[in-house]
Amino acid sequence: MGHLFSRISPQTLRILALLVVLLAIIFFFSTQVPNYLNGRLFNRISSSVAIMALIATGQTLVILTRNIDLSIGSIVGFTAFATGSLISQNPDMAAPLLVLYAMVVGAAFGALNGVLVAYVKIPAIIVTLATMALFRSALVEFSNAKSITSSELPLWLVNFPNTVLLKFGQFQLRAGFAAALIVVLLVHFALARFRPARRFYAVGSNPEAAEMAGINAKATVFAAFVFAGALAGLAGFMFLARFGNITVVAGLGFELKSVAAAVLGGVNIFGGSGTVIGAFIGAILVDLIDTSLVRWEFVSEFSREAVLGALILLSVTADAVLMRRLIGLRANREKKLARAAIKEKGKTSEVNTPKQTGETAT
Amino acid sequence: MKMFKTLCFASALLVGASTGAMAQAISLEGGQDVDMVLLPKFLGILVFDQANEGAQEAHAELNNPGELLFVGPTPENSVAGQIEIMTTSATQGQGAVMLSNNAGDQIVPSAKAAQAAGTKIVTWDSPIPSGEGEDVFVAQVDFGSIGEVMADMALSILGGEGQMAVLSATPDAANQNAWIASLKEVLATNAKYSGIELVDTVYGDDQSEVSYNRALALVDKYPDLGLIMSPTTVGIQASSKAMQDEGLCDQVKVSGLGLPSEMLSYTLNGCAPEFALWDFRDLGYLTYYTAYGMATGQLSGEIGETFTAGRMGDYTIEEDPGRPGSKRILMGPFTVYTSENVEAAAN
Repeated sequence: MGHLFSRISPQTLRILALLVVLLAIIFFFSTQVPNYLNGRLFNRISSSVAIMALIATGQTLVILTRNIDLSIGSIVGFTAFATGSLISQNPDMAAPLLVLYAMVVGAAFGALNGVLVAYVKIPAIIVTLATMALFRSALVEFSNAKSITSSELPLWLVNFPNTVLLKFGQFQLRAGFAAALIVVLLVHFALARFRPARRFYAVGSNPEAAEMAGINAKATVFAAFVFAGALAGLAGFMFLARFGNITVVAGLGFELKSVAAAVLGGVNIFGGSGTVIGAFIGAILVDLIDTSLVRWEFVSEFSREAVLGALILLSVTADAVLMRRLIGLRANREKKLARAAIKEKGKTSEVNTPKQTGETAT
Repeated sequence: MKMFKTLCFASALLVGASTGAMAQAISLEGGQDVDMVLLPKFLGILVFDQANEGAQEAHAELNNPGELLFVGPTPENSVAGQIEIMTTSATQGQGAVMLSNNAGDQIVPSAKAAQAAGTKIVTWDSPIPSGEGEDVFVAQVDFGSIGEVMADMALSILGGEGQMAVLSATPDAANQNAWIASLKEVLATNAKYSGIELVDTVYGDDQSEVSYNRALALVDKYPDLGLIMSPTTVGIQASSKAMQDEGLCDQVKVSGLGLPSEMLSYTLNGCAPEFALWDFRDLGYLTYYTAYGMATGQLSGEIGETFTAGRMGDYTIEEDPGRPGSKRILMGPFTVYTSENVEAAAN
């Protein structure tokens, strides 16, 4: 057990800490809200988080490279609308083509961000703040004040997110959530195991060192924005399928929610560290807190935003403290093991080592 | 439908009474040159575009050689954008700004500055809550009667008794809050509605995803909920979709204010059996006539003044019962849509 504990990476520890916070929040609300803990809660959160999970994954890729993408909500809105108007004009279009279209449109927006940030060298926060407004205005122009309604969409598209794949009592595994989960896991394992994907971490933790090691930092940052755009496009497709009714406000505010999910999930805002799984759990946390607060009698509509902010701060703090504790505990254990080893050695060579009981007590 | 008749009757009485008191309705003279701005809450929403169509129709009808601008902020910048456009309009010397206010009383300083520069401020759809900085409000319907219409729809859908909850737009939308207040008032005072319990009010921010999630949270929070009343076109659609997706339409119905073209399928499949709305083209048309009359000095904007608004007939400026000290022009009435008339209206 001890051996296992010291072998777990800090990233895994962080994910464990997040899961503890998640369980604590679920436990807390189950004492406050009647009829809280049931399959319905799982179905609600999983269906709703499927979209944010994809956006948070894209945001994580960008944040890893020391950048940020504030235009991601506008990209989701635009692709949702563009995909909706394409399929309503060509109702017989094949599903994979439609998904591809959404991702290509998103990636094109991401490429514009990427060029400006990586090659023109304008800070990402400025570029994406501007493109957030630009992409949204493009949507207003493109939409011509019409909305997409679910009645214009083919049935397979509208039914897709809520199709039940597996069922355990009240718990349902729905296609929308399953698809998002697969994407999250794919990106996670690519980042962890796939050598080219490790460049995102390298560029984020030390751009100069990465350059010297032969990594093309510009191309890496550019790629991060393109991938984020493509994932936002995919999220736009999911948004269209789930809500059916798309107006020009679609995806408004998603940029900040995705940053919140990533940071809550332990992605370092200064780049270089964090996991996609973490951001995924972060997205679940934000959604869970938001949904639960609406059902909590104690909080009025007007203080809900404040309580949500406070709870996010509390979760981040709890997570940070828990992390430090776990890392400290592990360091202590390693120290102890090392000391024991020295003692063994000392006995054999008959040299006394001074006892340091004080350290372990603190 | 009985409600609809009483409303017509009431407005007929109103018009009758006012024309009786005033000898003559002012007939506006066309052809005068005045630049005007139609400023919606934000761009890209169908109903605001319909209001613009109505205003353009009136603009052509009155032969105004001046310019009618349809400008609005982008959705993420609504409040600040409205204030900015208001300020710019004053410096440009526009004759009138026709405003659907989304900025609450934050718009007041810029609206007052515009008035000081000689620009008339005519609000429509959503007024300035305090009435300051506003010359007159063109009300789509009597805000007090919206409560009664919603209560009547609830009564018929719930079959006399049951729980209902309100899903609104944003917590600071002046029109939404006035309508919810009037609904509460009607429910509390009229014994006819004693079986209906209003259990909660939540806000979907006029965004599909927030409204959708709020609607489901309401269902989870109140197991006996029978109706979600959403007086906003985005909220009513999202709630209907959420109930349909989760197979809850038999248990929880949806009603409120919606667009026939967007609500067609939900009305026909029974998720949203009844909803109401007024004509936004007419609202834009009447607003243009009012603003044109005031900007050209043909209307003084005094209470009791009556004028003819083209094809729509005579209207009178009166005190706004919901905002003492402020003035309004009442358009009314609105139409209740059911499976019988929704298809015709949707096309």
